[in-house]
Amino acid sequence: MSDIRLVESGRMGRVAYARIAPNEDLVQSVEKLCMAQGFRHAFVRGALGSLVDACLARSDGTCLVVRGPAAEIVSLAGEVRSQPDGSLQAALTGVVVDTDGHVFGGPFVAGANPVCVTFEVTLEEWLPEAVS
Amino acid sequence: MSDRSPGLHRPRTIVHPGPYGAVRIEHMRAERGRHFRLALPQGRSLHAAIVEALASVDVHNASMTLLDGDLETLSFCLAKPDGTGRVVATYTAPIVIRSARFIFGNATLGKSAAGAPVIHCHAAFRTAEGDVRGGHVLTDQTVVGLSPITVVATALDGFDLRISYDEETRMPLLRPQLETPHV
Repeated sequence: MSDIRLVESGRMGRVAYARIAPNEDLVQSVEKLCMAQGFRHAFVRGALGSLVDACLARSDGTCLVVRGPAAEIVSLAGEVRSQPDGSLQAALTGVVVDTDGHVFGGPFVAGANPVCVTFEVTLEEWLPEAVS
Repeated sequence: MSDRSPGLHRPRTIVHPGPYGAVRIEHMRAERGRHFRLALPQGRSLHAAIVEALASVDVHNASMTLLDGDLETLSFCLAKPDGTGRVVATYTAPIVIRSARFIFGNATLGKSAAGAPVIHCHAAFRTAEGDVRGGHVLTDQTVVGLSPITVVATALDGFDLRISYDEETRMPLLRPQLETPHV
């Protein structure tokens, strides 16, 4: 029997904005931003920028590589969750444009999406209510 | 261009022309979020409509999600490798399309070095021919069409997003910094 809670209630907390520098990984930088700000859970409220190349996970375990530079992210959604071992894990999915304007979408593979010029991201802290 | 990577993909780093900056994640925070919903009317540029609407509620720095609507005129650029080597990637000349459907996008409202409002916007859209494309939208040259564009904005209070020259990339970039009073 799964112990996944279908509904989690809570409230929003602080808001953090970051500019991520070149060659830093998108997914891990979002996790580091949460560490730096003391967020345990967060939602992405807005994000845009460019990647050297984008690496999007496919359901068969391979990844789709969108060649740059620059592969531009035109939309990003996602969250950061605190894990049972205390680590933070960002799950980010979005839409990427190649150098000819063609669009691709999917989840960003952690460690495989280095920023090209700059990446702007805004996170809003999520404060789940304590489980009774 | 895209390709399928069969095994572990080896990400590629890139060497910028300027000196490697010491700070890799520049960040600031607001103690709480203020949220707004905007409906951008027909005939206005994205830039003018967003700046005016947010200024009316005293918001001068914000992170935004832009939702579905019509565009009378769309002006956008693509990011291409810079053949001159001066920078790593550069924007093409503006590509102008008459009549397009805005699908969605993200944008940041901040300030130029002189303090004027600037909007950095990336979006996906569908052309009149049905092609889905995306790019860097020039918001001052993009005009809302018949169906309004909805914007969900999160205000960034207590600090500024300001354009400043980045030595590493040799590009002017939005960066968070201590607030200067709005005039």
